[in-house]
Order: sequence, then C-alpha cells, then structure tokens
Amino acid sequence: MGGIDVFIDNINYIGAFILFVIGLYTVLTHSNLLKRIIGVNIMETSIFLFFVSIGYIKGAQAPIIDMALGDIVYVNPLPSAMILTGIVVAVSITAYALSLIIRIHEAYGSIDLNDILRPKEGESNE
Amino acid sequence: MNSTHFPVYILLILLITAIIIPLKKGRYDGLFRIEMSIALGLALLLSFILFMDVYRTQAFYYTFGSWDSTIGIQFLVDDFSALMTLVVLFVATLIIIYSLRDIEHEIQKEQLFSYYSLIFLLLFSMIGMIFTNDLFNMYVFMEILSLTSCGIISIKRKKENLLASFKYLMLGAIGSVSILMGIALLYMVTGHLNMLAVRETISSVWQLYPRNILISLGFILTGLGIKAAIFPLHIWLPDAHSNAPTPSSALLSGLVVKVYVFAMGKILFRVIGQDIVKAILVPDYLTYFAATSMIMGSVFAIGQKDIKRLLAYSSVAQIGYIFLGIGLATELGFSAGLFHVISHALMKSSLFLSAGAVIYQTGKRDIRNLDGIGYLMPVSMGVFSLAALGMIGVPGLNGFMSKWYLSLAVLDAGKPVFLLVILISSFLNSIYYLPIIISAFLRDSKERENVMVIDNLPKSMMIPMVILSIACLLTGLFPNIIMNIIEKAVPTFIL
Repeated sequence: MGGIDVFIDNINYIGAFILFVIGLYTVLTHSNLLKRIIGVNIMETSIFLFFVSIGYIKGAQAPIIDMALGDIVYVNPLPSAMILTGIVVAVSITAYALSLIIRIHEAYGSIDLNDILRPKEGESNE
Repeated sequence: MNSTHFPVYILLILLITAIIIPLKKGRYDGLFRIEMSIALGLALLLSFILFMDVYRTQAFYYTFGSWDSTIGIQFLVDDFSALMTLVVLFVATLIIIYSLRDIEHEIQKEQLFSYYSLIFLLLFSMIGMIFTNDLFNMYVFMEILSLTSCGIISIKRKKENLLASFKYLMLGAIGSVSILMGIALLYMVTGHLNMLAVRETISSVWQLYPRNILISLGFILTGLGIKAAIFPLHIWLPDAHSNAPTPSSALLSGLVVKVYVFAMGKILFRVIGQDIVKAILVPDYLTYFAATSMIMGSVFAIGQKDIKRLLAYSSVAQIGYIFLGIGLATELGFSAGLFHVISHALMKSSLFLSAGAVIYQTGKRDIRNLDGIGYLMPVSMGVFSLAALGMIGVPGLNGFMSKWYLSLAVLDAGKPVFLLVILISSFLNSIYYLPIIISAFLRDSKERENVMVIDNLPKSMMIPMVILSIACLLTGLFPNIIMNIIEKAVPTFIL
C-alpha cells in the first residue's frame, strides 16, 4: 500500500519527469523540425509543472494575506511568479524557432531534416 | 566617485543602446557609428573604474531596489567578475570597431541595425550573467544570451546559417531546460535562489540529500556543458561558429562560451562548495570529459580545410583546458582555468579576426589556398601567427603561461597523467596551426610573386587586430598582472 501512497503523493513530480523524457525523446528522434519544437515545448512545460509543484502545499490557501483570518498556511507564491518569466522565455524561443523554420522552408523547400540533408550525401566535408 | 551603482549603469547603457538602435530610422552612417562607439566607450570606462575600485577596496553585494536578498535579486561584484567584465567589454569593443567595415560584406544593409541591436543585447546578457548572484536571474540572462547568439548567426542570409542556428537553438533549448530543472531541484532542497543562501543551507544539510544534489548538479552541468561545448556535446559549435559572420564568430568563440564556463565555476564552487562537490566525485568526471575534449577537438581540427571551421574545432579543445582547470577543484587549478578564460578570449578573437580579414580581402577560406599570403597581408597573418603560436604554447605568449599554470596545478593535484594529455594536445595544436603559418610565409604563391606589401584593409579593421595581439604579448610577458587579480579572487570562490 505504501508504494501506491508514495506514487499518489508525488504524482506531480513523476508526471513532470515523464513529460521531460517524452519531450527529450521527441527532440532527439524526430526529423521534422516542427515536431522538435513541440518536443522542446513539452520539456519546458514539464519544468513549469515541477516548479509550481514545489510551491504547492496540500490544503493551503492562495497567498492573499488576510489579517482577519489569523495564522493559516499559504501556498508558496515565488515558484509561480518565476514560472511566469519562464513562460515568457519559452514563448520567445518558440517564436524565434518558428520564424527560423519559415526561412528554412523558403531556402530548402522542406522542413524535414531527412529531405534537407539528402542532397549533401556523397559530398566531402569541405 | 562612488562606484556602487556602476554594474547597473553598465547594464543600462548597453540595454538602452540596444533598444535605441532599431528606433533610429537613420542611415548606417558616420553619426550612427560615433553614437555606438560613445556608448561602448562609456561602458568600458565605467567597467574600468569599477574594476579599479573593487581591486583597491573589496568585493561588494548590490541588492536591487533594496529588497532583502532572500526575495530580491542580488549582484556580487568581486575582483574576477569585474576583471571579466572589463575583458568582455574590451574585446567586444575591438570586435565591434572591426565589424563596422567587415559586416557590410557579410549581411544585407537593412539588417545592420538589428545586428548591432542584437550585439548590444548579447553584451548586456553576458555582463548580467557575470555579475549575478541569483540562480533564476542567471537562467533568464542565459536565455537572452542563447537567443541573441542564435540571432547573430542566422542574420546572415545563407542556407547553412539557418540550419546551424536552428541546431544551436534546439541544443541550447535542451541545455537551458536542463539547467532550469537543476535549479528547481536545488530550490526544492534549499528553498533559496540566492547563491549565498543556497550555499549556507546546503553545507548544513547536504548529507541528508546527497542524491538530490547529485541529480541537480548533473542537470546543470549537462546544460552548461552543451552551451560551453565540451566534447561529446560540442556538435553544434563547428557549424554555428564557422558559418556566422566573422565578428559574430569572434564574439561567440572568444567570449560567449567563456561566460558559461564562468557560470559553471560559480555553481560548482560558490553554490555547492568544494568539499561537497569533491565528495560526490563530480570534478573527476569533469576532468575526464575535459581530457577527451582536449584531444578530440584537436584531432577533428586537423581534418578541417575551412579556416574558420578549423578555428571552431580548436575552440572545443581549448574549452577542454578550462574545464580541466575547473575539474581539478583546487585553488591552483581554478586559477589556471580562469587565466585561460582570459588568454583564450584574447587569442581566439584575434585568430578569428585575422582569418576574417583574409576572407575579406581575398575571399579565400580554404587553408590549402593560403600559399604566400603572408606577403600579401603581412599584418593579418602576423597577428594570426602570433595568436596561433600562443595556442600551441610558445614561451612568451599568454597561451604558454596558461599551459604552464595548468601543468603546475595538475602536478599539485597529483594527477600527472593529465600533464601528458596537455602535452599531446599541444603537439596536436601545432600539427594544424604550423602548416598554415608555414604556407603563408614560406611557400611561393601561385598567383603573384612574393613581394611584401602592406594589407589592403581599412584601418578600422587593422588596428583592433594589432591591439589584440599586443594584449596577447603583454599578458604572456607579464602574466602576473592578471594572475594577481585571479589569486585574490579565487579564495572567495573556494571557501
């Protein structure tokens, strides 16, 4: 029984790591450039989940301090605030990568790495 | 004059210049160049005054908006970060002066404003990363740095540049994601992001969570390893650095990579601490990777025909030296690594600039076509030879001094096998650098007679190269100028 409890209590962290690995696998194995960007986005999302989970306390209140309520437990707001910055960074990376893909498509006529690199086979490294 | 606010002034000058440049709808003319030079000169002057003040008095913490350091962002301005800022701005100023003429050949006219805007953002983020004492702040600066460094590669409208910068962007994104994961794990253990607070907490509780710290260090080091291009993770570097416009290559290879290495030193020694890092055996693995990097980078460089690609692979080998110094985890080793950070920044940027000058004047990139080029372009090839000899480790140049310090550190740490690696790597360096020098000065050119003429280059391109090689000579002849500062700064890292 203990194993299941540990699993349920840490479901956020386990989920974050599964997402991280899925994202990494997508980035490394897919030859389609668009899918690689999706992979990077999945990885980033997994970290956001992980970071926010650190600040979460079960049964705690949202961190809006009301003196009348007295001493109650609040969720740590700092990770959520940092993740806002993280999301902005992720969006800018995605935007830049997508614009690069548009240029690559203009230049090579494809966004699949197998097609892009095929004509180069047989050439020497010069 | 009180220099407390100077770090922020330097950052603000660079950031505001980066924002103003694209707003100006003027032409790319003399006025624009003068304005840019004034901004850079001002930043350089401020960093020099800041460095002198810090050197004479002591390191200080700068808290933004007077927030408490546990909540707010903090800068730590110590001797080495002030020196590093000075070096970054000095080399970058020379590269930008060089780029004023060279860049017109490489990219389209309407892109020039965005190019300089990106360059200033790049400098801004590098200096932010050097000063910052906050883990998440470091991550944000790192992201700006990786985006802008991709930007200054892809700005050249060539097919290869697009693929190179896409590769760099993807690997860089994986690297930054790993670093953020490592930071999250550290935050989970300690509840702090301020480096000093993290260190205090970790040093008292690390026996409870050794595995957690090991995993987080693994993530952070992998991420920084990708960005600093240590051997198995270097695959993006040759494409990115060789295809980029010459000033970008010099900036990326000379400065950007070093900033990541410095960040790694900060995390290993200032955040985690020497004892803990040694106890979980991280530095040992770092030295193994460094040794393979030193050998394999040089081996790959031997096979290259394109001069800029050769220099890029040589960077991989030279990064190995710095990592070796850090991986020894002793005071001597870390000082040697930091010394090589500075000497490699000077050597590699003068190599890239002189190679770029050859491409600018003759259009030749293939090292087999460089016969007799030393008579056509004596200044450029002189600068190239001086820096290349420094890379090989000829006494009197700064490359020799960093190898000397590194060898002493290796012997001091009781790992003489790495001395052998340093020697082999030096021989390999000479295998690919000497033929270029020999064919440039001793072979007959096929097209013209070997008559000495002076380079047909603009003065604004020649003077920065010459200043850089004089700096190489000076730091080689008087290494104590830099070593004194480093020796004063290193004990604050390794407490």
